[in-house]
Amino acid sequence: MKRPLSILALLALWGPLPASGQSLMNAAGLGLPISPGDARARALGGVALGLRGATILGTDPSAAAGLALPTVVMTAQPSWVDFGRSDTGESGRFRGTRFPSLGIAYPAWSLGMVTLTFESYLDQRFEAERPVTLQLLDEEAPATDEFVSRGGVSQVRLGFARTVGQSARVGVAVGRYTGTSTRRLVRSVNDTLAFESFESFQDGGRWSYSGASLTAGASVTVGEFAEVAGSATWSSGLEATASEDTRGSDRTWDVPLELRIGASAVLAPGLSLAAGITRADWSGVDDDLADGASLGSTYALGVGVELTRATFLGRSAPLRFGYSRRDLPFTLADATPRETAWTGGLGLALDQVGELVRAAVDLAVERGRREDGPVAEDFWRASLTLRLSGL
Amino acid sequence: MNDEEDSGEYLMRKKLATLLACMALGSVACSEITPTSVDDSLLPGEPVTLEVRLEWATFASNLEVLGGYGRAQELGVGILAEDFGGTLDARTLVRFARFPRSVSVPDTTNTTVVDSMLTLLAGRVVAQLDTLASTNDGPVTLALGATDEPWHAGTATWTHAVDTVNGQVPWTEVGAGPVTPVATAVWDPAQGDSVVFELDSAQVAFWGDTAQAVRGARLDAVTPGVRLKLNQVALRLDMRPSVNPDTTVVLTTARTDLTFVYAPSPEPPQDGIRVGGVPAWRTVLDIDMPATLSGPAALCDVAGCPLVLTPDRINYAALVLRARKGDPAFQPSDSLSLDVRPVLLRSALPKAPLGGSLVGLTGRRVGPGIFADPEGTEVEIPITNYVRSLVEQDTTETQPPPRTLALLSVFEPISFSYASFFGPGSPEEPVLKLILTAGPSVELP
Repeated sequence: MKRPLSILALLALWGPLPASGQSLMNAAGLGLPISPGDARARALGGVALGLRGATILGTDPSAAAGLALPTVVMTAQPSWVDFGRSDTGESGRFRGTRFPSLGIAYPAWSLGMVTLTFESYLDQRFEAERPVTLQLLDEEAPATDEFVSRGGVSQVRLGFARTVGQSARVGVAVGRYTGTSTRRLVRSVNDTLAFESFESFQDGGRWSYSGASLTAGASVTVGEFAEVAGSATWSSGLEATASEDTRGSDRTWDVPLELRIGASAVLAPGLSLAAGITRADWSGVDDDLADGASLGSTYALGVGVELTRATFLGRSAPLRFGYSRRDLPFTLADATPRETAWTGGLGLALDQVGELVRAAVDLAVERGRREDGPVAEDFWRASLTLRLSGL
Repeated sequence: MNDEEDSGEYLMRKKLATLLACMALGSVACSEITPTSVDDSLLPGEPVTLEVRLEWATFASNLEVLGGYGRAQELGVGILAEDFGGTLDARTLVRFARFPRSVSVPDTTNTTVVDSMLTLLAGRVVAQLDTLASTNDGPVTLALGATDEPWHAGTATWTHAVDTVNGQVPWTEVGAGPVTPVATAVWDPAQGDSVVFELDSAQVAFWGDTAQAVRGARLDAVTPGVRLKLNQVALRLDMRPSVNPDTTVVLTTARTDLTFVYAPSPEPPQDGIRVGGVPAWRTVLDIDMPATLSGPAALCDVAGCPLVLTPDRINYAALVLRARKGDPAFQPSDSLSLDVRPVLLRSALPKAPLGGSLVGLTGRRVGPGIFADPEGTEVEIPITNYVRSLVEQDTTETQPPPRTLALLSVFEPISFSYASFFGPGSPEEPVLKLILTAGPSVELP
């Protein structure tokens, strides 16, 4: 018993790591929502619910009901992004890695599985610059305002999942929003030789996020060929509390009810089709935002196919392909921001005994584009998920 | 394969798989480049940066000029002046070290031997002058004399040969006199920076006799209206060695004492600020920063007024002095380096200990030209961190920094001349220049 617990503790240190910036659209509204799901879900066009097999999902606690052993699932997600603005001609390139999810499941005697998940929710990491000219009495001094936003919002969920009868699974999770945001504006003169004694102006602060959420989900196996799942997440609201030395104020925003449906079906032996949709109405946050407006109702759609009989080096290595499209709730340019991506990937069972996979790696690669009026980002995004069971 | 071996192989495979997967996950986390844009709309409300000048009465008080720091001997140079600026006379006193008693020279067989049987033939005093710090443009006549009275290099003044706590001995003749004239010479700066006074062997021998209490030389400027800075003085000796009488050896004797006396001594200024000179002048003042500002309007529009002065709002603070012409006799002819140090114990002035420099090791260097017409040239002495700490002390309970500052030269004494600036009550009084930034607080979206 000691070894599993020590390994779980070690893995807990891995996450939740703060999300790293992967989009300029992190600067819009409350930030860029992080797509849930592991590498398998990303490869299938973002369809996370209703897939065959058990996993650990913060957005669907029932997904862990089918797990037979203590399990850890963790995902890393690097991105490479080229962005450009058609209005200003600005362009650039950046890259970053986030660790969007870490899930731990452990059997609760014979009652079901207890799950603990850490998931990134909103990414708020970005930087911006502004050239300014200081008008002093006798001279002008070129200077630069640099604004740095770090951090984001994460969710920690404690859930319970169990099977109901032969073909149904249910789960519920209580969650708490967590994470911090640090925002700092620094004004410094460009000519440090001429203004040797000039001390940069710095202002900013640090906020801690809090709030509660409740997620419930259920899935059912229809015959031998289909899975259907749905889940919903209700949130009490997202609160940001300024630290003692922060001049900025505390804030509260509404967080929308999220509804998710996903399904998969076996079209032919070794060939499955998966599809899913998520809806969230962000219009309630409009009144809480200092400036700008949300898009209102947003939808995320995904579809994918999985070739389950593929093998690699004699091991099961299912191939996956898909397409995803999702609306982004906040805009930089009073437009309708959207992200689309073609996806693909494979899984590889590292240690398998019969039908039981005790160690597996899933890889997904996405080629996509985000557009928000004049702002466009073309990105490559990879997801790598490690799943270990029987610890 | 038995069960134990099977179990061991399984564990090894699982550990290997875990290790490889963790390495893969970790490796992708390298080399981040954060999304960055120059889009102005991504930044919070723009702060305002303005220059504000606080009048003297708003930030300072109790200005006081103190003198008497250091001695002429500590300057390490000589000053010569004759009726400079219509008033100033200055003379330099020199005492030479014991002559060398032996020398290594080749004898008649060209073998180098140490010869202590030297015959003094003649000598000369060579003086090196500072062509930049001296005020003359053309040739000047200098006189060399031998002092007839004992004198103390550390305390000699225009009126006294000795001026110690144990007693005072006035010169028989004010101005470090009388002297026995020895030689005169003309120094033309166009020809070089040195002037030579030829001496006979008797005079040279007299200055080499350390038993003579009155031994010493006095250098005077004969040409009126000049002030000269003497960097070095040396005595060159022509010696004949006994081992090779056909050879003349030139030896150099360093000086042991170099000081100068001058008159008149400058009086403390009735108003204004004085820094430098010998003995050195300091100016002390008390600083008391206002807690709030009520202007300018542009700052109030953004941050609201009265604006609380906080350290983070102060980007730059400098004491701005306006140069004025001082006494022409002590008008700077070379650059000066000004320093500002906190006075750690005001009640102990003028001997109060000082804190570390607020300006840096090299000080704030000012050229001599600003102390001429037109007056009022501004000299900024940055004291940003000091002002920030003063303001911080006003808003927190940290250890208060000293509220009294001393304006002084980087080293004391550093120059014969001193810097003069307008004082409080003058239209050109000192001001405190502040560059402030204030703006709306950074908020979440």
